[in-house]
Amino acid sequence: MKNLKHFFITAALCGFAATSVRAAEIKVIANSSIGTSSVSAEELKGVFLATKTSLSDGSHVEPVLLKSGAAHEAFVKQYLGKTDAALETYYRSLVFTGKGSMPKALASDAEVVGYVAKTKGAIGYVSAGASTEGVKALEVK
Amino acid sequence: MKKMTTRIGLLMFAALPGALQAQFDFTIAGHDVQIHSFASQGFAYSNDNNYLTMDTSQGSFAMTDGGVNASIRLTDKFRIGAQVYDRNVGVLGKWHPQLDWAVADYKFKDWFGIRGGVVKTVFGLENDTQDMDFLHTFALLPQSVYPTDLRDANIRHRGGDIYGQIPLKNFGSLAYTAFAGMREDSAYGGYPYLLTANGGNLTSYGGLQVGEDLRWNTPLKGLLVGASHEGEDITGRGTWTLAFPGQPPMTMAYEEHSNRDWTNQFYGQYTIGNLRLASEYRRYWRDQVIFNNTWEVTTDVRGWYASAAYRVNRHLEFGSYYSRWVNSWFDSMAGLVEAPSQSSPDRHLYDKVITARVDVNSHWNVKIEGHFMDGYGSPGMYPDGFYTQDNAQGLKPKTNLLIVRTGFNF
Repeated sequence: MKNLKHFFITAALCGFAATSVRAAEIKVIANSSIGTSSVSAEELKGVFLATKTSLSDGSHVEPVLLKSGAAHEAFVKQYLGKTDAALETYYRSLVFTGKGSMPKALASDAEVVGYVAKTKGAIGYVSAGASTEGVKALEVK
Repeated sequence: MKKMTTRIGLLMFAALPGALQAQFDFTIAGHDVQIHSFASQGFAYSNDNNYLTMDTSQGSFAMTDGGVNASIRLTDKFRIGAQVYDRNVGVLGKWHPQLDWAVADYKFKDWFGIRGGVVKTVFGLENDTQDMDFLHTFALLPQSVYPTDLRDANIRHRGGDIYGQIPLKNFGSLAYTAFAGMREDSAYGGYPYLLTANGGNLTSYGGLQVGEDLRWNTPLKGLLVGASHEGEDITGRGTWTLAFPGQPPMTMAYEEHSNRDWTNQFYGQYTIGNLRLASEYRRYWRDQVIFNNTWEVTTDVRGWYASAAYRVNRHLEFGSYYSRWVNSWFDSMAGLVEAPSQSSPDRHLYDKVITARVDVNSHWNVKIEGHFMDGYGSPGMYPDGFYTQDNAQGLKPKTNLLIVRTGFNF
């Protein structure tokens, strides 16, 4: 009986954790210099994996990431198809072979919004509830 | 008090990489300069045969490498950077630093860019990252495809690449690289070391390499497949010392060159969640005329591996691979004949490997790895990790090897 109780508590906690990640909905934001108001999922993936440096409308883009947190993990999993550790390994493989640079990574939604607002071509993501004053929201198709 | 001092020391040591990373990004004339570095230290112990020029049968700490790079993005499309690498693995490297890469990279479009200088060669899944211990699950990559003692053969070229990524809409995307440049081997690599056993002293070894790599990010999420090909025209020069009983040694100029050398590699990788599966096959055909146009040696080296790695959490990962390497060779010198069957230990090297990787933090990892090897390749004919001059007692058919390796990256 005690083991059964522990099992259900553990299952409930796992479910809650998963719900928390899904519930951390993400907003993709961009500097006002970017002409388009939407981006395809493939384009977004290319930008954050450093295979694309411009969008379909010709706007040059520079990715900026959150360092950690539920929104970061949700974005990396949903749009890049990687775990956080795998993404870090990917970026380091570019840096240490001379094929890329480490992207900007910031500690909070507010820092990401501030950086995107002042940096031409910057594109980032924040949690759904974050204030996005000074930046434009991008719809992901 | 002593315990507290030790704990504080360990914590400071663990925190140092993060602190260093924060200090080593700065700005010059408004452009961000990034500086990164890495280092690793290993210990290897084998039950019988000595491996990779280390005295592993006695336990060896001669397994150290590291590098530092700096890069700057000058415009949205143009980057420059360079990395210096150094290693000492047994007698390989011998603490002679190399310019690992130094590139100017201009990306015209996402589907077309050029890079030139000293460029890391894109070939297979891990060729250009094989030195970066911190990027891999395993302490030693499968030697059937990424031989540590022949690192110089494929690691970089002094020349240029064209590269790009082409989206295929519903069919994923293609990434291509085409390269051409000069291979320049270190005097402290496996092949020069092999020749020293019989009096050879190579002072230069290299030549033109031309090749390409094409990889397909398939529509199946997490599946990547690809192929690489390379042809090369290699020349080696140096001296050879011949010793005859009762006579003083005689040293003569030595030259060897390619008739026809090429490498094909096919690979696939599948990642789902925390599980990564990978497999690669490499075939290297080497047809050389040696000893100043005297005779011809051909070697047909075929290797493959299959691996699996599973990340349990941020701090722990397990992995395993099976690696097979076989060599068929022909030497036109009378009297040199290979063993007729690949089951002979001097025709193959099979390796079963199991690894645990612990990430203390994002900058520091420790690996413990066991190798269970069958065979010792073809020592004396082609570098394969086992060298006759390191195993004067003769080579045993099986080798068990333990590697403990720790690495840092900043």
